[in-house]
Amino acid sequence: MIEFKNIKKSYKNNVILENFNLNIEDGNLVVLIGSSGCGKTTLLKMINRLIESTSGEILVNGKNINQMDPIELRRSIGYVIQQTGLFPHMTVKENIEIIPKLMGKSQEEIDRKTIDLLNMVGLEPEKYSDRYPVELSGGQQQRIGVARAFATDAEIILMDEPFSALDPITRAELQEELFNIQKEYRKTIVFVTHDMDEAINLADKICILKDGKILQYDTPENILKNPAGEYVEEFVGKNKIWTKPEMIKAEDVMISKPVTVSPKRNLLQAREIMREKKVDSLLVINKEGKLLGYITLEIIQKIEEKNILVEEVMNKNPECVCGDKNLPELLEIFNNLKKGYLPVCSDEGKLLGLVTRSSLISVLSSQYIEMGGDN
Amino acid sequence: MNTFIEQLVTKKSEILSLLLEHIQLTIIAVLIAVIIGVPLGILITKNKKLANAVIGFANLTQAIPSLAILGFLIPVIGIGSAPAITMVVLYSMLPIIKNTYTGITNINPDMLEAAKGLGMTSGQTLKLIKIPLAMPVMMAGIRMAAVTAVGLMTIAAFVGAGGLGYLVFSGIQTVDNNLILFGAIPAAVLALAIDWITGKIEEATMPNGIKKSDGTMKVRRTSSNKNRKRNIVIASILAIAVVGGVIVSSISNNSNKITIGSKNFTEQIILGNMLQQLIEDKTDIDVQTKLNLGGTQVAFNALKSGGIDMYVEYTGTGYVNILNITEPNSNTDEVYNVMKDRFKADFGIDVLNPMGFNNTYAMAVSKETADKYNLKTVSDLAKVSGELIAGPTIEFANREDGLLGLNKAYNMNFKTVNPVDGGLRYTALNSNETQVIDAFTTDGLIEQFKLTVLEDDKSFFPPYHAVPIVKEETLEKFPELRDVLGELDGKLTDEKMRKLNYEVDVNKRDAKVVANEFLKSEGLVE
Repeated sequence: MIEFKNIKKSYKNNVILENFNLNIEDGNLVVLIGSSGCGKTTLLKMINRLIESTSGEILVNGKNINQMDPIELRRSIGYVIQQTGLFPHMTVKENIEIIPKLMGKSQEEIDRKTIDLLNMVGLEPEKYSDRYPVELSGGQQQRIGVARAFATDAEIILMDEPFSALDPITRAELQEELFNIQKEYRKTIVFVTHDMDEAINLADKICILKDGKILQYDTPENILKNPAGEYVEEFVGKNKIWTKPEMIKAEDVMISKPVTVSPKRNLLQAREIMREKKVDSLLVINKEGKLLGYITLEIIQKIEEKNILVEEVMNKNPECVCGDKNLPELLEIFNNLKKGYLPVCSDEGKLLGLVTRSSLISVLSSQYIEMGGDN
Repeated sequence: MNTFIEQLVTKKSEILSLLLEHIQLTIIAVLIAVIIGVPLGILITKNKKLANAVIGFANLTQAIPSLAILGFLIPVIGIGSAPAITMVVLYSMLPIIKNTYTGITNINPDMLEAAKGLGMTSGQTLKLIKIPLAMPVMMAGIRMAAVTAVGLMTIAAFVGAGGLGYLVFSGIQTVDNNLILFGAIPAAVLALAIDWITGKIEEATMPNGIKKSDGTMKVRRTSSNKNRKRNIVIASILAIAVVGGVIVSSISNNSNKITIGSKNFTEQIILGNMLQQLIEDKTDIDVQTKLNLGGTQVAFNALKSGGIDMYVEYTGTGYVNILNITEPNSNTDEVYNVMKDRFKADFGIDVLNPMGFNNTYAMAVSKETADKYNLKTVSDLAKVSGELIAGPTIEFANREDGLLGLNKAYNMNFKTVNPVDGGLRYTALNSNETQVIDAFTTDGLIEQFKLTVLEDDKSFFPPYHAVPIVKEETLEKFPELRDVLGELDGKLTDEKMRKLNYEVDVNKRDAKVVANEFLKSEGLVE
């Protein structure tokens, strides 16, 4: 847990940060993002005291870092920087091992760790251990940079635009790699970037900064769906969500108040509701809102006796989906479904809404319509 | 060519020992410059203002002529290797400090931040990152300093530190090109050798994994790191051996020792050798020499400061130059007595008895010039001086008892005065670039160049009788010296001295041998 408390940073009369507060939870990958000059790198470097705050305090696991020895603090925090971070006169192995060696760990332990780390970042230890940075591609160099940050088993890792100098394909590869590593190791990672796609790909939480102020600190999903204000929306990019259709959930596209009917109504009344609401089927829910089944106009017409209650003739095994089914999954389900609609329920079976083919189409088409409007 | 080889054979051991001396002096000077310069270069990377001040100062010292630096140093630290090494150290400092500073400040700041961010202390960053990465630039500076130091160190002979410059200076004094070459060629070879060796060291210290300017990259795998360590060990042992040798040799300087000096011309060197051989023959004193010191000021300051214990001075020089008595005085006894009393009282220096010859100044012209203007006396010369160019030694040109006084006394005014130092003035006269020079009456070169010596018809020049002068303390410590040196009293006439000078200057014989022959012929040594 990293806590920024009332941090102020100024250079002479130039105030960069003021009253800054932020908590970073353990095991989260938090991306600090914003245009240049927003203070994101300053914040990152304050965590390992490369930059000292003017006032306020930063707590790491409850301890004020100003009361810690800066060397020990830095050794307990991994650090990855852009491109030039590797020492050119040291081999890959020497680069990874430098801090553990300075800490006086046993060579045997260090050797084992180095092999593990090289495997972790997908470089064969036998092949790459003795190479010099200049003999490696940019992507390989940055993998070593990541491996080096993990070398001291730090719980916290700081990454300062680590992939920004790489070509887009390599960058995507490394993002994927980091994502997988993070899934396995669950470090607390603070990651600075100016690339929103990268932030969305990697972050558990994104902190959007402008002029030293937090505009929004939330999950990528929430930021995409509910940008806090125009600047964030602009910064994130309109329709950015469509680059991540998994983030669009059933509850985002459902009709939230579908037409329902009580099981105790008779068929005549049910038909009347349908006519009034101009629908051809009704979802049957009890008083608690739990979905019991559905009834269609087709069924009602087949039955002569209209005094029969809905619950006696309704379809009792309605297919339904959870609210967090995402868009690609919904489309998949609809493909295999005979019906043109699908109720959305909570885990307890309570009806939340209804997704229909037409509601899906209107959501999907909205991105093109809005984009067209932009042009 | 034959004489070159003959001379080389007779001089080879001297050349070799001077070469070794030169190497030793150079290595010590460069080592000291490295020991001071590298840490200083590192230190100033922390403070821009300090850096400007230090580099500015180093630049400034570079701009001061080396002889001037020596001049400042002699009164402070005397003569011998100390001022020579100090001077070379001062000159070598600039490239070392500058390159160390540049090497370190040019390292990519991002990389240094990475080192800091990973948790290296500033000491570790310096040792593991900054120094290895700055090493090629630092070594280039050291290499430059070392090569320059070889050349600079030839001036060491000026203050009696020896080295190859001794041969060069002697050669210039005696118009002996071979001798100059014996000094210059080994010095040049040494410079090339040092360039090559430091180049190898530069190569060896080049860090792995760095692209060189030609685009190639040195990659040495870990297996050969042993070699690297071995090389470092060998280099350290060599350095320690050199420094250790110096320390041992300075420790071995026992107290039963005296040092004899001489100025930088043939007669002085013969006399210096003569005193040495005589004392060594008659006493158990360990006699060392610092011959060929650059002029009266250097020799006399050395005597005062204890760098040497004795040398042979001339009464006129003592009277006029050292005691600063400007009133001309051609009374031999008066000049001698004044010098004797005042030296004792003012400087604590004993003036012993005259050795016999009077090496006074004389104006000399070529035979052609003498015939052309019908010159016999200095008064004759004064009449036509407006048409002639004088080429005296620098010292003579600036002395009251030299050209300055002479001009007044004879109402003489040369067209131009182009001072040329040492034996070169004979060469200049010979090629008719100058027409008048000062000469010493005992100078063997007068004979060689067939010069006409003009009579000092107004007795302007004071008498210049040769007298050994010795530090009082030395005589107190070794009272036997007075008697031993007394054996030379009156033994050397003008003739004999000129003959000895001729043997060395013209016949290219070794001063040591010539001195020895004389002592033997006089029955003073076995």
